[in-house]
Formats: sequence, structure tokens, C-alpha cells
Amino acid sequence: MHHAHIDKFAYQDSLIHRLDCRIKFMVLLVFTAVVISLPRTSPGILTCYAIGPFTILVWAKIPLRFVFKHILLVSPFVVVLALSCPLYDKTPVTVAFGPIIWQSSLGWMRCFTILAKFIVTMSALIALVSTTRFNDLLTGLQRLGVPKLLTVQLGFLYRYIFVLIDRTHRMLRARAGRKLRNLGFKAELKIAAAMLGSLLVRSIDNAEHTNIAMQARGFDGNWRTISKLQIHRADYVFATAAAFFLLVLHFFVKPVVL
Amino acid sequence: MHMANELLSLPVATGTLAIAVASLGFVCRKVRQIIASDKVALMGVLGAFIFAAQMVNIQLPAMPGTSGHMVGAVLLAIILGPHAGAIVISSVVIIQCLIFQDGGLLALGCNIINMALVPSYLGYFLYKTATTGQAGSLRAYLGTMFACVLAIEAGAFLVPVQAALSGVLVVPFSTFLITMLGVHFLVGLIEGVITVAVIAYLQQVRPDVVPDSLPGKVRLSRKAVITTLAVFALAIGAGLSLLASDLPDGLEWSYAERPDQTDFETAVSNESPAVVAVDDFQSKYSPLPDYSLRSSAIGKIGEEEPGVSAGWTSFAGVVGSALTMAVIWLAAQILRKKQPQRA
Repeated sequence: MHHAHIDKFAYQDSLIHRLDCRIKFMVLLVFTAVVISLPRTSPGILTCYAIGPFTILVWAKIPLRFVFKHILLVSPFVVVLALSCPLYDKTPVTVAFGPIIWQSSLGWMRCFTILAKFIVTMSALIALVSTTRFNDLLTGLQRLGVPKLLTVQLGFLYRYIFVLIDRTHRMLRARAGRKLRNLGFKAELKIAAAMLGSLLVRSIDNAEHTNIAMQARGFDGNWRTISKLQIHRADYVFATAAAFFLLVLHFFVKPVVL
Repeated sequence: MHMANELLSLPVATGTLAIAVASLGFVCRKVRQIIASDKVALMGVLGAFIFAAQMVNIQLPAMPGTSGHMVGAVLLAIILGPHAGAIVISSVVIIQCLIFQDGGLLALGCNIINMALVPSYLGYFLYKTATTGQAGSLRAYLGTMFACVLAIEAGAFLVPVQAALSGVLVVPFSTFLITMLGVHFLVGLIEGVITVAVIAYLQQVRPDVVPDSLPGKVRLSRKAVITTLAVFALAIGAGLSLLASDLPDGLEWSYAERPDQTDFETAVSNESPAVVAVDDFQSKYSPLPDYSLRSSAIGKIGEEEPGVSAGWTSFAGVVGSALTMAVIWLAAQILRKKQPQRA
């Protein structure tokens, strides 16, 4: 079950993991905003921006194969739309890249820019998620002003996703074991509805039990965690370094050059 | 369909993010008035249920090899009421972004609007209008079906609108719109059929669960919904008509020289150095492309680079970046090998 290990690297330990999640989140937000506002037809410049997330991923010891596999997994929609660009924008351009000069179209430039931006922002997002425990991230988000109801909801959701996904996997395996061929749409629908319905009823019952247990322990709608967030000197250093990185790229690496 | 960062421009992304954050804050306040803290667990677990339900796939008729699954927004809105349903689906979308990296961080606003807020409220409203109370009748089932199709279509309609307003894609708006609506008509039909089947099953097994019997009654005033829809329609209409006049399509690039490929031959040559310089400046210094101060460009005319050297600088940039990453990687490998020896 590949889902169950999707943020397994968040529980490692490194300098990056120990940074305050609020700083990391804000840096990610700014970085993403800067990357998507870059010009739409110059893919080359994005390799310079890729250095940022790359450094963090390597420093935090996140295997790059995991990152690429994950990006590939979520890419289909973007890839289809990016590949449709060359079909509609056929303005010819001459691309000069070092010793090689070739003819291409603006659509391809757009296509590669979209794909490059996708890879850069996705690896930055993966860098945040796989270096931050989700509960810490939620506490940080709540401090940043996200409504408590929403963070509590997200915490619950995160706690139960993997439980219910495992349960569903078992149901799917049972269905596959009993149903050896396609039974026609009507029968299939009936089976699926019964699966979903019983899953729903069981979830509601589960929630009821959880609720009783929580009430018994005095839950009043507040989420108390032992993760205490503090901004240390390392966080200031990280924020400054990130700002320096973005400013250097902004002022010294011009899209016109690439 | 998850929107990605890269298909949006910064103004559209931040605008939709602001709308989504504001409406989520409003909905959270609303829900806290309606729901006691003992429903928090229920909402959380039902969010997880949506995840699990999306894994249960059924084979589609007439299209062998393809299978569909439910999205769940309308089912949840029917069971939990629109406000709580919207929060649960929004949290699902947020988790999909943060844990599973479906859709980007800045596209989160778009995704919350398209997949959580619009389907929940519109679906619930249509369901309520079409069914008028009695569950289990043919009319209720047809109403549910109708609500599902329209709710999904409305969300799908917003994706090309947002993409067109951003102007990143060059796919014509109408083509994209027709494709999205066509695909999502099928998605909506499947969603409708499964939702109806699940509700029918629940009616037999647990009749107490069906139509918003769970957390206190929620009322959506018809006037409020219609006003919201009208405002939405006006805003979208205004945005699209603005777009029709200054959409940055292929034309924009054919009359001006491409600044990033300096030796690109202009289709309609406009050799006036001022125009060239303005475009040059625009892509050089603008933090937001297409929004730059043109007046300050005049002073920069002399700074153009000849085409060949531009090619070499780009080459140097890419190779330099790649080398930097290689050095970082090697350094990390060496440091990591040393560490266990010390320990």
C-alpha cells in the first residue's frame, strides 16, 4: 500500500527537519509565487531556480528517486495540457543553446516552461511535506491564522485516511477474489454501492465511538499538542538564505539571457 | 480535476486563493454556530471516507477497460448539509495538495473553489430544489442525479475560465471548455449514478443516516443562493469579456521580437528600437509578465545583447546550474559516507 508511506521521510532528522514549519511554509509560498510569475517562454532559467529545492532535498536526505516518482505520479493533467501548447502556437523561433542552434516553435518553449515550472514547484512542495511532520504543520498553520475548526478537521482527516484506505484495500481484495469476471454494469454498480454504503456506515459508527472516547477524556473542540513552535537562530539564517537566493536570481539571472 | 500552479498567473492564483480563504473562514464561523464539538470526529472520519471511496472503482459499460469512481461532494453535502460538507471536501482537497501533491500550493484556491465550494453548495441547492423533501422516490433520485451532473459541470467550467484568465495556455478557450465539459459530463453521470445507488442502499440499511438528519438543520435561503450565482456569473462574464480584448495569444508574439530568443525572425517586422526595447524590458524586469512600467524602458535601449552571445549565456546558465547541483549532491554523498565512521 504505497499510500501508507507517502510522508515517511518527515520523521527523519536533519537540520532542515528541525526548522520551524511556519518559516518553511512562508518560504515555499514565496518561492512558488516567484516561480510561477517567471516569463512563460524561457525554460532555461528554471534550472537556476531548481537549485533551491534540490539543495534542500539533498540536505534533508530525501531520495531523489522518490521525489521524481512522486512528481511523475501527479503529472498527467499538466503533461496533457503542456503538450497541447505546440499544437496551437506554431510561431517559429530559433533557439540558440550554446554551440547548438535549432529551429523550434514558441509552443514548445511554452510546453517546456510549464513542465519545468511544474517540476520545480512540485519538488519544492515535496521538500516541505517530506521534511515537516503533518501535525507540526497544522499547529504552524493554526498560528498563522487558519481557523481552528479547519485544522482540527485536517488533523482528524490525516489520522483516519490511512485507516480507511487500508480497510478499502481489504474490501477491494475481497471483491477481486470473489468476482472473477465483469458482471455487467448493473451488478457492478450494486456491488460498488453496497461497498461504499457499508464503508460509510462503518465510518459513521467509528466516528461515534471516537467521539464518545474523546468526550470521556474531556475534548472541548481544542486540539492540544506537545509540539512547541519556536523560531531559533537557524530559522532566521534559513529565511535570510532563501531571500538572498531569490534576490540573487531575480537581479542577476535575467530571462532574456536564457 | 486538479488545477496546477503552472497553469495560473500570479494575479489569478492569489485572487482565487483570497476568495477561497475568505469563504472558508466564513463557512467555518457558520459551521461552529450549527455544529457542536461532538460532530468534529464525524466530519473528520467522513473526510477520510471520501478518500477511501475514491478508490472503489467500477467498470463502465460501453467503454471496456475504463473505470470510474465517485467524487463524493454532493453525497456529503446531502448527508452533512452544505456548510459542513464544504469544509470536509475542502479539507480533502487541502490534504490532497499537502500530502499527495495533487495540484499546487498556489492553485489551492482554485481547487477549493472548483472542487469543494461550488459542488457542495450548488449540489445541495439543486438537490433541495429538485427533490422537495421525500427521499426514496423516483423524483428524489432523478433530482440527485441532476444535482450531481450540474455540480460537477459547474466546477469543471471554472477550470478553463481560470486558465484563460491566466493566459498561460495557448489552447483556445472554447476547445478547452468543450473538452472539460464533455469529460466532466461523463464524470458527473457516473457520480450521479453512484450517489443515487449509495443513497438507495443507505435507505434500506440505515434510513436514519440519509438526508441531512445528522447535524442540525441547515437552511440555504433561495434568495442568497440566486444572488451569489448572479454575482458569480457577472464576475466571470466581465472577466471573460475583458479577456477577449487583450488575450495574449500567438498574435502578441508575431508582431514584436522575442526578447529571449534574440535571433527570432519577426513575422511582421517592427524594427523601431523603442518597441523592441520595451518588449525586451518587459520580459527582463517585470515581476509579473504583462504588467510592467513602460515609461522607464526608454533608458535601456543600448543594453541589448547580440543573439549569439545570448545563446552562450543561456548555455552557461543551464550548465552552471546543473554543475552546482552535481557538486551539492556529491558533497552530500561524501559527507554522508563520513558520518557513520565517526559515529
